[in-house]
Amino acid sequence: MGKIEWAMWANEQALAAGLILLTGGIVGVAGQFRGWEFASYAIAAGFFVCMLEYPRSKRAKGTSVERTGQYCFTVCVKAFGPVTRNYYVRAFLHAALCVPGGFMLATVLGCVCLGIASLIYLAAAVRGEHWEPILPRKDTRKPVAESIKSPPQNPPPRPPPEIRRKQAKDVEGAAYDNPIAVTDE
Amino acid sequence: MCGEEGGEEPLHGASRTERTPVSAAAPAPCLPAEPRLWRELGAAKVEVGAPEGTMAVSVRSWLANEAGKHFVLMLWLAANTWLFLDTYLLYSTGQQYHYLYQMLGLGLCISRASASVLNLNCSLVLLPMCRSLLTFIRGSHTMSTRRMRRLLDKSKSFHVTCGVAICIFSAVHVSAHLMNVVNFSASFSEDFPDLNLARYKGEDPKLIIFTTIPGLSGVLLVLILLLMFISSSHCIRVCNYEIFWYTHNLFIIFYIILMVHMVGGALKYQTNTEAHPPGCLRSSQSLQEADDLDQKQRCKEDAHFQPHYPQTWLWVSGPLCLYCVERLFRYIRSSHPVTIVTVIRHPCDVVELRMLKKNFRARPGQYILLNCPGVSSFENHPFTLTACPTENKETFGIHLRIVGDWTEHFAHLLLPQPRAALEILPVVHQRRYPTLYVDGPFGSPSEEVFNYDVSLCIAGGIGVTPFACVLDALIERWKSFRLQRLYFVWVCRELQSFYWFAELLCALHEKLWKENRPDYLNVKLYVTQKDCQQSMSELRYRPLAARLQVGRPRWKLLFDEIGKCNKDKRVGVFCCGPKRISRTLHRLCNSVRSSGATFEFNKESFS
Repeated sequence: MGKIEWAMWANEQALAAGLILLTGGIVGVAGQFRGWEFASYAIAAGFFVCMLEYPRSKRAKGTSVERTGQYCFTVCVKAFGPVTRNYYVRAFLHAALCVPGGFMLATVLGCVCLGIASLIYLAAAVRGEHWEPILPRKDTRKPVAESIKSPPQNPPPRPPPEIRRKQAKDVEGAAYDNPIAVTDE
Repeated sequence: MCGEEGGEEPLHGASRTERTPVSAAAPAPCLPAEPRLWRELGAAKVEVGAPEGTMAVSVRSWLANEAGKHFVLMLWLAANTWLFLDTYLLYSTGQQYHYLYQMLGLGLCISRASASVLNLNCSLVLLPMCRSLLTFIRGSHTMSTRRMRRLLDKSKSFHVTCGVAICIFSAVHVSAHLMNVVNFSASFSEDFPDLNLARYKGEDPKLIIFTTIPGLSGVLLVLILLLMFISSSHCIRVCNYEIFWYTHNLFIIFYIILMVHMVGGALKYQTNTEAHPPGCLRSSQSLQEADDLDQKQRCKEDAHFQPHYPQTWLWVSGPLCLYCVERLFRYIRSSHPVTIVTVIRHPCDVVELRMLKKNFRARPGQYILLNCPGVSSFENHPFTLTACPTENKETFGIHLRIVGDWTEHFAHLLLPQPRAALEILPVVHQRRYPTLYVDGPFGSPSEEVFNYDVSLCIAGGIGVTPFACVLDALIERWKSFRLQRLYFVWVCRELQSFYWFAELLCALHEKLWKENRPDYLNVKLYVTQKDCQQSMSELRYRPLAARLQVGRPRWKLLFDEIGKCNKDKRVGVFCCGPKRISRTLHRLCNSVRSSGATFEFNKESFS
């Protein structure tokens, strides 16, 4: 199966699961069905999963496409360091989060989807993948040397007149060492 | 529900695993010595009038390009709407559903209406994926007109539309049925016990769902549908096509479960509405309950209920059988390995492959799917043919660009490796090529180049492959086609890329000049690398060097020029390149025709 990046699929699945959990929770609370407490939990859990999964990871090979407006989410998720970087943590977190959703009809679908996402994350973690933030590239330029900013005050050094006469006739013989160094600092 | 192998649309040599966009530098045009026809396109002459940015849509051009697609879309929408409303009204006003409607309410009508829409879409979604059938329709000119063939180009979009409709209506159907389950439980009917799905009043809805066939199969269907839908997002298709392909192949399980979904008969209709008109007085009721004696009559017999005969298989089995037959046909056709005749290495990571296969017939513009078990058993990658078999030569060829792991591994197997071993005597090795299976050929929009009087072919980088095949066919028999004039624009990032087909272009150019048709082929080459100073110095490539420009092409000027030279004609525009270029060209084709020709846009689609 080559070099499939399971994490990308897991990310899409988890984001969709978060949205479904959120929707199911809203329906459950709005209809005041039996067990609506689980629905209110599902709203919170769904929201949290969406926030966590919104920033896409940087691909190991190839171009990574960001989701619109994901930069602030990237910064937040990156702040947690190794906890969010590691996919084992995400796998177990999603597995734990999905369990209470299974007790109410409206949130069952979100629960199963999140469970599947958790399994795919486990597969990604086993293959050694981890989450990398997509950060805007900072082009570091070389600091401009001082000598460039101001134009030269003096003309370039000219060779003495004997050498100048020689240059006209014999270029090789007129080679000389310049006494003043003409280099870029 | 697309049953395609890993690679459905032609990438013309680029593998699906990675993609390097052809980026363009800022134009720095120079004016080499060119034939008079093209001199006006130089940057020195600026068009007076509308600048490049504003392109108002012209009704006639828009109709020529978009009318067919939108008509089909309207038809499809109308069919769906009519089905939905018809079923809704049947269940809300039909006499045989009166008691069921009383128990379940609105949920009944919405769930059944969305179910009939789902039936329609589940059957339609398979049809655009019968590739060989569509190729056959495209090839038989008696069966199809050019307008219909242009509609066939949009088959994948239609498939996606039906798929999205399936997802949306599944959501509606599931919500309505959840309401039904709750109502089955809450309004458990003592009067008509046959009608109930619940075993007792107030039964837990979750229990009803998981212990009945429709409920359980419904849950499984939704799960599979979600898996398929989520993994077919653009991002996953571009980055990890295999995931999309393998999850999409779950469609067969989806259809099998779909056909048993209705078994069990949760919803029943009344069979004896004449003997027992709904709302009549039952023997258990007394006269005091009736308001008006005349209106309510006595029931002659008790209501009898019968579950519906499952209907889904009537809708779905036809397209499913057709699709399975098509897959079987393709499997049998591709079961013989091809013989690799030559492997040629070209600059810029391109490898040309020439092959031989018995009874292989192809038209210019078509593409094939390659499967190399030595690289990967299950992956199939599409490549456009760059040379078709003819009476004179039986081999067919592809040009593949090495981008991504499959093409890298494949090229590694094909090309001789530089040997570090010291060999005193050169040993002749029988070159052992890997076994290769070819599936196809399949049709593509570029086949239409020959069916216009004037065609404009615009290629970006390796996207030149379908047009290379067209040029190859023109060399042999340019007189036999309807095509009278071909404009060929090729934009590449590096100069070395033009060497892929430099011989072919020069040969065709020379042949046409010799046969006194210099205006048949108009070549324009653009190299977009910023600091490209050198030109093609070889003497035999002089025609190309003379038609080479540095910088991006100015599309509006090009279109105006072509329009002026071909007034009141239909020009077929064929684009095979990055999305940016094809979007600009599409807009240009739809915009104001100040110059006289109508441009019909045809695009090769990538995945």
